[in-house]
Amino acid sequence: MDNMDATTERPVIATTRTVKRRGPRLSRADRTPLGLWFWEIDRVLLLLVSMLVAIGLVAVAAASPVAAQKLSTSTASLDPLYYFYRQLMWVIVGVPVMLGVSMLPKPQARRFAIYGTITFLILLFMVPLLGTTVNGAQRWIGGGVFRLQPSEFLKPFFAVSLAWILSLRLHDQSLPVVPLSFVLTGVIAVLLMGQPDLGQTVIFAATWLVLVLVAGLSMRIMGMLAATGVVGIILAYFFYPVAQQRINIWLFAEGDSFQVDKAHATLTAGGLIGTGPGAGLAKFQLPEAHTDYIFSVIGEEFGMIACIAIAILYLAIIVRVLVRLLDEEDSFLILAVAGLIAQFGGQATINMAVNTQLFPSKGMTLPFISYGGSSFIALSIGMGLLLSLTRRNPYAARVSMTRNWNKK
Amino acid sequence: MNTLVVRPTRVRTAGVRQQILLTAQQRLMILMLLFMAAFFLVSMRLLYFAMFDTSSRNGSASTAFLPARADIVDRNGIPLARTIDGYSIRVVPEKLLNNRQYLADELHKIFPDISRAELLAKVSGPRPTYIRRRALPDQVAAVNAIGDVGFDFPREKERLYPQLSLAAHVLGFTDAAGHGVTGAEGAFDSRLIDKATRGEPLALSIDARVQGVLESELGSAVTNLEAIGGAGIILDVHTGEIAAMTSLPTYNPNKLAPDNMAARRNAVTHNLYELGSTFKPLTVAAAIDAGTVTSMARRYDATAPLAIAGFRIRDSHPSNRWLNVPETLIHSSNITTARISDELGRENMEAMFRKLDFNTRPKIDLKERAFPIWPKNWGRLTTMTTGFGHGIAVTPLHLASAYAALVNGGIYRPATITKLGDQAPPKGRRVFKAATSARMRQLLRLIVSDGTGKKAEAPGFRVGGKTGSAEKPGAGGYRRSSVVATFAAAFPMDNPRYVVLVMIDEPKGNAYSSGQRTAGWTAAPVVSKVVMRAGPMLGVFPDESRDVDVSELTPLLWRNGEDE
Repeated sequence: MDNMDATTERPVIATTRTVKRRGPRLSRADRTPLGLWFWEIDRVLLLLVSMLVAIGLVAVAAASPVAAQKLSTSTASLDPLYYFYRQLMWVIVGVPVMLGVSMLPKPQARRFAIYGTITFLILLFMVPLLGTTVNGAQRWIGGGVFRLQPSEFLKPFFAVSLAWILSLRLHDQSLPVVPLSFVLTGVIAVLLMGQPDLGQTVIFAATWLVLVLVAGLSMRIMGMLAATGVVGIILAYFFYPVAQQRINIWLFAEGDSFQVDKAHATLTAGGLIGTGPGAGLAKFQLPEAHTDYIFSVIGEEFGMIACIAIAILYLAIIVRVLVRLLDEEDSFLILAVAGLIAQFGGQATINMAVNTQLFPSKGMTLPFISYGGSSFIALSIGMGLLLSLTRRNPYAARVSMTRNWNKK
Repeated sequence: MNTLVVRPTRVRTAGVRQQILLTAQQRLMILMLLFMAAFFLVSMRLLYFAMFDTSSRNGSASTAFLPARADIVDRNGIPLARTIDGYSIRVVPEKLLNNRQYLADELHKIFPDISRAELLAKVSGPRPTYIRRRALPDQVAAVNAIGDVGFDFPREKERLYPQLSLAAHVLGFTDAAGHGVTGAEGAFDSRLIDKATRGEPLALSIDARVQGVLESELGSAVTNLEAIGGAGIILDVHTGEIAAMTSLPTYNPNKLAPDNMAARRNAVTHNLYELGSTFKPLTVAAAIDAGTVTSMARRYDATAPLAIAGFRIRDSHPSNRWLNVPETLIHSSNITTARISDELGRENMEAMFRKLDFNTRPKIDLKERAFPIWPKNWGRLTTMTTGFGHGIAVTPLHLASAYAALVNGGIYRPATITKLGDQAPPKGRRVFKAATSARMRQLLRLIVSDGTGKKAEAPGFRVGGKTGSAEKPGAGGYRRSSVVATFAAAFPMDNPRYVVLVMIDEPKGNAYSSGQRTAGWTAAPVVSKVVMRAGPMLGVFPDESRDVDVSELTPLLWRNGEDE
C-alpha cells in the first residue's frame, strides 16, 4: 500500500527551464550570470571574508559603548550601541558593493580601477584645498554622511592600476614602467605626508614595493630600496615630530605612553579566554577603542584565543589568495591580486603589531573589523576587485597548476 | 635570473614569459613566508601575553577589583567596615508608563516606611529621584516586579558595617560622597582612599570579641541603671593599643538618622568629666614620687571636714579618725587626699598633670578629641580639689592613659586605635618611678580586695582599681543626685596587662544596684563582668594561686569593727 502511494506522489523535477538554467539555481548546470559567478568565484575566500565581517560586527558591538560613552554628556547620552548600528548600516551597504564589484568581468574591473584611481587621485589633490580637519589631520573631503577619505578609496584602485602599469612591460619592454610607478607612488606619498598620514603612506609604499618585488625587480635594487626604507624611517624619526614621539614611546618607553599602556592593559585584561562579551572594564579607559585599538578590546572580552583565531583567519585569507596565484599565468592578474592582498594583509599585520606593542602606534584600522564607514566601503571595493580578479573556471585551474609548478 | 623584467630585452619568447612567471611565483612565496612570519610573531606575542604577562593583568584586574575605599578590620582580621556594590532604586518619572496612583500604591506596599503621599510626589515629580539609596535585594526585586521601565537600579559603592553598631564610635562613618567623617573613617580617610594603600585593609587595635563584651556589659548596666550614657575602654598598658572602646548611647553607622546626632558623640575621647576619686591614686603616686609621702603608715587627720577658703571638704562616708595612706584610698577619703595634695604642693601636682597630658587633647589617632578644662586660678584649694578629681575635667581616655602609666612601671604612652603588629610600641616617657608604680599596684589591688571596689573583684584575675563617684556640676554647685560613676581598673595586678575603665553617666540608684548610685555599686560590677568574660580573650587567665604581694600593707589596715 505504501509503495503505491510513493509512486503516485513522486515529486516533479524542474518542469520549466530556461535555456541558460538547465539545473537548479546555482547548480553546476546553471549558466545564468549569477550561476557562473557563483561557480567561478573563490567561495572559500568569500566565506573567510564573511566570517571576518561577522566578527567585525561583534567586535564593534563590544567597543561601541566605549566610544558612545566618550561622546555622551551629562545631558544627552548616546545609545551605547550607536556605533554598532552605524557599522551594521555600513555592512548592509558595503557587502553588496563587494559582491557587485566581484561580478565585474576582469577587463571591466581593470577599467573600473583605473578610472577610480584617476577620480580619487584628483580628490586627493583637492584635499589640501577643501578638506576638513579632524584631530589635527586634513584627510577628509565633504561633510556629514558624505564625508569620505580619498586615500582610503584610492588604495585598492591604486594597487590594480599599478599592476596594470607594471604589466605593460610584457607588451612593450622598452616602457620605463618601474620609474613611472615610482613617480606615481611618490606623488601620492607626498600628498599623504602633507595631510599628514604616515600610516597610509606606509601602506601605499608597501603596495608599490610588493608589486615591484613580484614583478621581478632585482634583489640588488630591492636591497637598496630596503636600505632607503630604513634611512627613510630614520629621517622620519629626526624630522617628523609625530613619528619621533611614537618611536620614542615604543623603543625607549619615554614620553606620554598613555595610549600604548592602556592598549596593553586592555589586551591582557581578559587573559586566555577573556572576560566575556560586555564584561570588559579596561576597554573604557582606551582611546580609539572602536577603530585603531579594537583588537585590544577583542583581547579583553574574548581572550587571546579569539585574537589568535582572528590572526589565523587573516593569514588564511592571505595564504588562500597567494596559493591560488601560483597557477595564474596572466601577469597583470598576479600583480593586481598580489598588490590587493598585500595591502589587506599589511594593514591587518600592522594593526595587530601595534596592538601587541610590536610596532609604534599609528593610525591604522583592522580591515573589516574596525569601525569606519569610509574604510569599510573602500575595503569592500578592494575585496570586490580581489574576488573579481581571482574568479576563474574551476576546471581550467587544475590543469595549469600542475603544469606550471612542476615545469621550470 | 631575477632581473629578467628589468633587463631590456625586446625579444619576447614563451621562455622569457615562463621565467617571469617563475620569478613572480618565487616572490609570491617569499611574500607569503613574510606574512606567515609576521603573523607567527603576533601570535607568539599574544600567547606570551596570555601565559606570562601576569603583571600587567594583575595590575589592571586589581585596579578593577581594588575597593574604592579600604576595608577596616579588627586586630584579628574580622571585617568591621567594607565597601560593597549596593543597589539604589531610582525613578525617572518621564519614562513611567503606569498610572502614578497605582505605582504609589505598589511602592507603598514595598516601602511602608515612606508615606504614600511622598511616594506619589516622587513618581509624579519632574525630575529623576532616588526612592531608596541603600536598598535591600528583596526591595529591588519587588520594585522590578512592578515592571515599569521608569525604575532603574544603579549600582553604587556603599560602605557597609557588617557588625552593625559594634565599635561604631571607633569606626565612625562616611558622608554621601564616600569620605570619612568621624572615627577611624575620618582620621584615616586619606589612607583608606589612597590608591597605593587601599588594597590592604586597615587593621585596628580593636578586638571585636572584647569590644562585644564591653558593649554588652556596659550596655546592660546603663539600661538597668537608667543612666543617660556611659563610656568604656580597654587599653593595653604596654603599647597604648585600645582593645575596646565604646560610648553609649550608640548608633548604627549603616543607618544614620538625623535624630541620633547626640549618640554619634564619642564619650571616651570627646566628653569631659570631673572624674572624682579616680584621681586619688594619681595624687598619692605623685606624693610618693615627690617624697612628700615617705611612709605608708603615716596618718592624716580625717576626724572632721577640712575647711579651706570658705569651702568644706568632707567625706561621703566619714571615718572620724586618722587614716594612713592605704586607708585613704580604700575608704576614698577626700579629707586626707586633700591633705596629701596640700603637702605635695601646686608645683608638683601641676607637673604630674602636665606629664600625663591632662592639659592637652587626649593623645589618640582620632579626630574627636576634647580639650580638657584646666583650672583657671590655681590656688591652694584647687590643689586640694584636683587631688580628688574635682576642679579639673578630662576625658575618660586621659584617665585610662594615666592609669596605664600608673601600673605599667611609670611609662606614659599615647593611645592608638591602629594595630601595632610587629612594630615596636612607642617609647613613651617616664611619669612615675618604677618603685612608685609597684607600690600603686599594691594599693589599687587593696582597694578591690578590701575597699570600695570590692564589687570589681573577678576571681583569679587580680583586678585592682579605684572607684570614683563624682557629683556633676549643675546650676549653683554640685548636684548630689547626679553622679558620674567611674571605675578605673587594671588587671592582672601582679603584672598589669590591661587598663579597664568603665564610666556610667548619671546612674539611678535602683534595685539593680541595691539603691546605690556610687561607682562601687554601679561601675565596679561592670568591670568585674568584663574582666571575667574578656580576660581570657586578651590572654589573661584566672589563677587563684597568683596575686600581687600586699602583705607589707595589710597590717596597716585597721579592721576593728569593720568586718564584723
